[in-house]
Amino acid sequence: MNKLILISLIVLCFSIGAYAQSIAVSGVVSLEEDNFPLIGATVVEKGTTNGTQTDIDGKFLLEVESKDAILEVSFIGMKTEEIPLDGRTQFTISLSENYSTLDEIVVMGYGTQTRSKISGAVSSVSEEQIKSTSITRVEQTLQGRTPGVNVIQNSGSPGSTLQVRIRGIGTINNSDPLYVVDGFIVGGIDYLNPGDIESINVLKDAASAAIYGAGAANGVVLITTKQGRIEQTPTITYNMYYGVQKPWKKQNLLSAEQYAILSNEAHLADGRTPLPEFSDPASLGEGTDWQDAIYETAPIQNHQISIVGGSKLSTYAVNGSHFSQDGIVGGEKSRFKRSTFRVNNSHQIFDKLKIGNILSYTHIKRNGLSENNEFNSPIIRALNMDPVTPIRKPDGTFAYSQYSDTDITNPVNALELTNDLWTTNRLVGTIYGELEIIKGLKFRPTFNLDVSLGTRDVFNPSFDLSDDPVLSDAPAGEKRLINNVLQEDNKYFQWLSENTLTYKKTFRDKHDFTALAGFSIKEWQHVYHGGTKSDLRTNDPELAVIDNGQDAESAISWGGKSDFAEISYFGRLNYEFNNKYLFSVVGRYDGSSRFGDNNKFGFFPSFSAGWVISQERFMQNIDLISFLKLRASWGTNGNREIGNYEFAAPVFAGQNYTFGTDEVITNGSGPIKVSNPDLRWETSIQSNIGIDLELLDGKFNLATDYFIKNTTDMLAPAPIAGFIGLDATTRNVGNGLNKGWELAVEYQNRDRPFKYALGGNITFVKNEITSLGEGGDPISANFLQSASGNITRSEVGFPMFMFYGYETDGLFQNQAELEQHAEQSGAQPGDIRFKDLNNDGVINQDDQTFIGNPFPKFTYGFNGKLEFKGVDLSFFLLGVSGNDIYNGTVRYDFTYVNRPVSELERWTGEGTSTTVPRTTLSDPNQNARISDRFVEDGSFLRLKNLQLGYNLPKEWLKRMKTKEFRVYISAQNLFTFTKYSGLDPEIGGGIDRGFYQQSRTYLGGLSIQF
Amino acid sequence: MKIYLKQSFFVLSILFFTVGCEKDFLDRNNPVGTDEANFYQTEEDAVSAVIAAYDVLQYELTPSGHFRWFFGDVVSDDAIKGGSGDNDAASLGRLERFEGQATNELVQSEWLASYKGIARSNIVLERVPDIEMDINLQVRLLAEVKFIRAYFYYNLVTIFGDVPLLLKTLSPSESDQARTPKAEVWAQIEKDLTEAIPDLPRRSQMPLTELGRITQGTAQAMLLKAYMFQSKFADAQPLAEAIVNSNEYSLDPDFANIFTQQGENGPGSIFEIQYMNASNGDWGRFAEGTLTNVFQRARGQFGGYGFNIPTQDLVSEFSTGDPRLAATIFQEGDQMGDRGVFTKAATGQLHDYYAKKYFINSSEEAPTGDPNVNGPSNDRVIRYADVLLMHAEAAYHNGAEGAARNSVNLVRERARGNNPPFVVPPISVSGPDLLQAIYKERRLELALEGHRFFDLVRQGRAGEVMRAHGLNFVDDVHELFPIPLTEIQASNGAIIQNFGY
Repeated sequence: MNKLILISLIVLCFSIGAYAQSIAVSGVVSLEEDNFPLIGATVVEKGTTNGTQTDIDGKFLLEVESKDAILEVSFIGMKTEEIPLDGRTQFTISLSENYSTLDEIVVMGYGTQTRSKISGAVSSVSEEQIKSTSITRVEQTLQGRTPGVNVIQNSGSPGSTLQVRIRGIGTINNSDPLYVVDGFIVGGIDYLNPGDIESINVLKDAASAAIYGAGAANGVVLITTKQGRIEQTPTITYNMYYGVQKPWKKQNLLSAEQYAILSNEAHLADGRTPLPEFSDPASLGEGTDWQDAIYETAPIQNHQISIVGGSKLSTYAVNGSHFSQDGIVGGEKSRFKRSTFRVNNSHQIFDKLKIGNILSYTHIKRNGLSENNEFNSPIIRALNMDPVTPIRKPDGTFAYSQYSDTDITNPVNALELTNDLWTTNRLVGTIYGELEIIKGLKFRPTFNLDVSLGTRDVFNPSFDLSDDPVLSDAPAGEKRLINNVLQEDNKYFQWLSENTLTYKKTFRDKHDFTALAGFSIKEWQHVYHGGTKSDLRTNDPELAVIDNGQDAESAISWGGKSDFAEISYFGRLNYEFNNKYLFSVVGRYDGSSRFGDNNKFGFFPSFSAGWVISQERFMQNIDLISFLKLRASWGTNGNREIGNYEFAAPVFAGQNYTFGTDEVITNGSGPIKVSNPDLRWETSIQSNIGIDLELLDGKFNLATDYFIKNTTDMLAPAPIAGFIGLDATTRNVGNGLNKGWELAVEYQNRDRPFKYALGGNITFVKNEITSLGEGGDPISANFLQSASGNITRSEVGFPMFMFYGYETDGLFQNQAELEQHAEQSGAQPGDIRFKDLNNDGVINQDDQTFIGNPFPKFTYGFNGKLEFKGVDLSFFLLGVSGNDIYNGTVRYDFTYVNRPVSELERWTGEGTSTTVPRTTLSDPNQNARISDRFVEDGSFLRLKNLQLGYNLPKEWLKRMKTKEFRVYISAQNLFTFTKYSGLDPEIGGGIDRGFYQQSRTYLGGLSIQF
Repeated sequence: MKIYLKQSFFVLSILFFTVGCEKDFLDRNNPVGTDEANFYQTEEDAVSAVIAAYDVLQYELTPSGHFRWFFGDVVSDDAIKGGSGDNDAASLGRLERFEGQATNELVQSEWLASYKGIARSNIVLERVPDIEMDINLQVRLLAEVKFIRAYFYYNLVTIFGDVPLLLKTLSPSESDQARTPKAEVWAQIEKDLTEAIPDLPRRSQMPLTELGRITQGTAQAMLLKAYMFQSKFADAQPLAEAIVNSNEYSLDPDFANIFTQQGENGPGSIFEIQYMNASNGDWGRFAEGTLTNVFQRARGQFGGYGFNIPTQDLVSEFSTGDPRLAATIFQEGDQMGDRGVFTKAATGQLHDYYAKKYFINSSEEAPTGDPNVNGPSNDRVIRYADVLLMHAEAAYHNGAEGAARNSVNLVRERARGNNPPFVVPPISVSGPDLLQAIYKERRLELALEGHRFFDLVRQGRAGEVMRAHGLNFVDDVHELFPIPLTEIQASNGAIIQNFGY
């Protein structure tokens, strides 16, 4: 196999080149509006790669090959001008504002397309938009800007991943889109520095994505990093920002006094004597605010330098960046640091042969905290720790609680003892060649490597919060008598070789054909090993390595590996008639080692068509409409993220037992699950219809799409009888349906000194499971400890992951009401009355129903930019509507946890409350069971970003020999409008287990370009 | 131009060259684990396959909780759930209140674990006979898994009644298995055990390094339990006497010692599920330890989860001075080993009692790894005292009151220890009083060892006792637990739910 790659690279070495006689032309390019010279405008001899860029005075000098040459002059955001030489050699050219984006080149996967000719559903984010917010991760650029793409923060902690869902969730399994960076399919884009990005395109419909076949069912995100351009004058840019982050919300919890009052009441309610130390609640006062104790103001900063340029034959882009962010919880304990460098080069080495490389290296250090779980996260501890316990004892050491239980330990102490560092070193590199075999026929071999080394270093120091170490009176969670260390190494290695042939041909000026054929082969491997050991001599985290563990018996090691391989063939044919009728056919034939023996390959076809109505004669007189296109597409995609070796059923070791007085482990091996040689990809079939419209020469533009996405062969645990004695395997049995509608509109006007652009978008998606296979049982998931039950249920006829539980019907106000009601075990007056939905006279599990939907009815975004004389203000609002959040932040399974202040509204006798149940110690009625009581409206509207900037006037810049000098201040998450009572409504999955909230960030930044 | 075409053609042909080898390229097998086709070949594989069947005996949280004491003690009048409140392990609370629904994961868990043990036994019984290996070892291994299969069917038939009787491995498509009448299940249990008994070594033949393996006495005692549950007293009495007369077992003179680490696999130990604390296990990673220790230990400074809380009713049953009370139950003010004095404040809970038999000192915790999943205590499933008391009960029903009294008094004599004779005095009653005395002795001797509920059921007293205990127990319904709903669905309705659920 490796031989193959080698040979395909050898091809790069063949080519010959020559240059003809030439004519020198020169001139000045300026801006029509103010006649100011344009720096960096591109001047190209039309139809060739021969071109240059204007210098700091807007001047250019170019040698053209023919006296019939036409100069093509372009600049981002300006209308491209085409000027014939007509015997002249001196030119004065002015460019005017271009509102239309129709001529933009859009990366489509193994090729590009002019926006006006796309017949699928593709959204784009430009470098301009990426720059307007100070983002920390690339996915954030898609948030609220691209209709049909829902991006939700999985956690507010620095460096955490985001959940990107394109057109809803297609499957109960992996719903992450495919990421393609510079043509290379990568697993995750956390290694990218957002400042390196030139553009992002999202392929949303099946036809556009079909060129990625079995990888495309969840949509495709194509990212292009910055490249230099031919004859571009060297441009050096330095960007930086510095800011501070703060928590934006605190939950109102009981004070020590209020806590004691409720505790006393609970004891009395259960026939117990109240705790003597709470006899005078007022004396306890406010007590400890554990939220204040864990939150802090944390710095964030970013520095980046980039050098971009090009000569006649070569281009280069060199970027380096450093980003560092502390967490608002625990500061350096959740610090994230990322350093990157990137070198993108290309060289026209012969007339017909170009070669290039894209190389990036990323170093990440992430200090991890336990997040978003109800067991040991700092947030859940801060919300549940009683307010009576002080943070520290009088002697300055940390205190432990007399009341809290097991998981709920002193969060400040726990934070100090956390040492969990992930270090990633990732090298992603591509080399490619581009050979023009005959005119119009291009052969492009590429070879990519992605190597990632990830290490984890965990150190758990020893400690003991006991008042008396001999008595060891602290609860189990507040002491660790022997320290231990864990170290783990992960090596990820992937190579990918892709070779494409593209042929472009125009017949009779009207029939444009582009044909693509390609072959792709890929191998991925993960090797890991790790170990732990106990009893290190010191508690110094710097010395926390396995060999410092003194207890030889405690050493554990593990290791293993996993791999997969893929082979694909693909092709695409585009045909355009007179720029009016557009057709595209795509097919991809994908094989993967992940598929079972009976289904090693799958075929994924698609068709799309577009009709540019504005090109029709009958539209020519309508001046208002400058562009109108109708698009329709149909296609099939696959989802192959189904795990490695899922089809197999090997005999596993480790089924051990122990015998003898010396207790020796005896090895056992046995089968664990059923095999499935039929296992294959999940299929998604999607139809799309859409309209692109531009009015007023592009000042107003609109794109709207309606889609129906059917997922079949969804992997679900096949119902297998337990008496078979093996675990169920997953089979391709489920079907799901997503229907949706999306709209994006934008209006801009830059004709006057006061310039502005306003945009908005909205997406409606409706999701339904249409089958879980024959006899497919509903799938319960998302266990909540405090209710000892699963919150979500996926059932045929309903959306995925709906909340499932009891419906409440107020409180029992008196004994009579209780007796009238269906039998409800453990209930007393003041307890919650649950609805007897099946009317069988008893409240039990059969009375559960769907009580909430974590997915929004619609999501929307607004953004705008106002400019006046160098001052600009931009804003971006994100909205989500119609979703529910399950608030699972109170550990009701423990008796003495703190509660929200709303519990002061408790029932204390007939008529005192109809919503908040009586206070008890043990909750015999299980008021805390999963019910609509904890389901809240999760809608929100958030001002994600507000930025005020100032650009130095051009006259000054010229004197300073500087191309750009910009300063700005910005605020993120400044306002959030929501009814949600918990910490943060912007939450992945809709279940709040003590979410690490997003910070409110204030930044100041600077950008200089020479 | 020509030159490009030639080279390009060369490259293009390579693109399709891979077609030939792509099958191999896409063939990837998990490097972890062995392919089933290459297993069950050697003596080592045979031993390994049998150990995998033993392994299921240790299951406690796989797939979710199903401890023997859940059903035997928490469900009975001897203990309540405990934990940190009613919302802690609420499904166990539903089980103990006989609100056990067919969707209760604890019921499902018991079912799934039992059938895992049965499936692993079946595969051994199918594959191991074909392996060329030491014949004596082969015979013994097959007898051991016959015991394991019988043990799991005993669990199933006592918890669910009729269950599908499966004696060979099934493919996933063979899921429409109906329930087999329990008489046939019992017959198979008896057959497996009867066949296993002669092939198994006696306990005295076991080297110390092999203690914990199934012995002849283990299989005999299991068969005795099966007879007792079916009220086959005529068969039970001579079998019990055979165990006694084998002289393989004796009562440990010190009752309290039985439940210590030193007391494991002691003179009276007939069947103990083996656990150890030094396997370095972690949650989910091959732990050979038990969770019972941490589950039953008091919360707060004692570091446990505080489940299986003894009832006042059980405590009151002990006569004054009975040393077994202090060996069975912690009361306020008691020293909890090296973990401090039991006060409610120190536990952070309001319970008056805690179970003691599976208490371990902090010095006995796992030296490494997570101590919670690495509890050291073996699960004492069948003790010699249990055999004596079953003998007494069978003898009583067979009219041999003298033999019955004798067996009970052996147990009481040991319980008395070195105390004066008025402490736990010998019994001399007869008739129904004798039966009541035997029942009471069972309760006291075997308290919190996972027997009580099933004893009440087989003695036909469950309704009466559980209702007196304040529970809504319906006769002819709650003696059995519901068949897990998932099983009914997976069998496409071939399995019919138990009456009353």
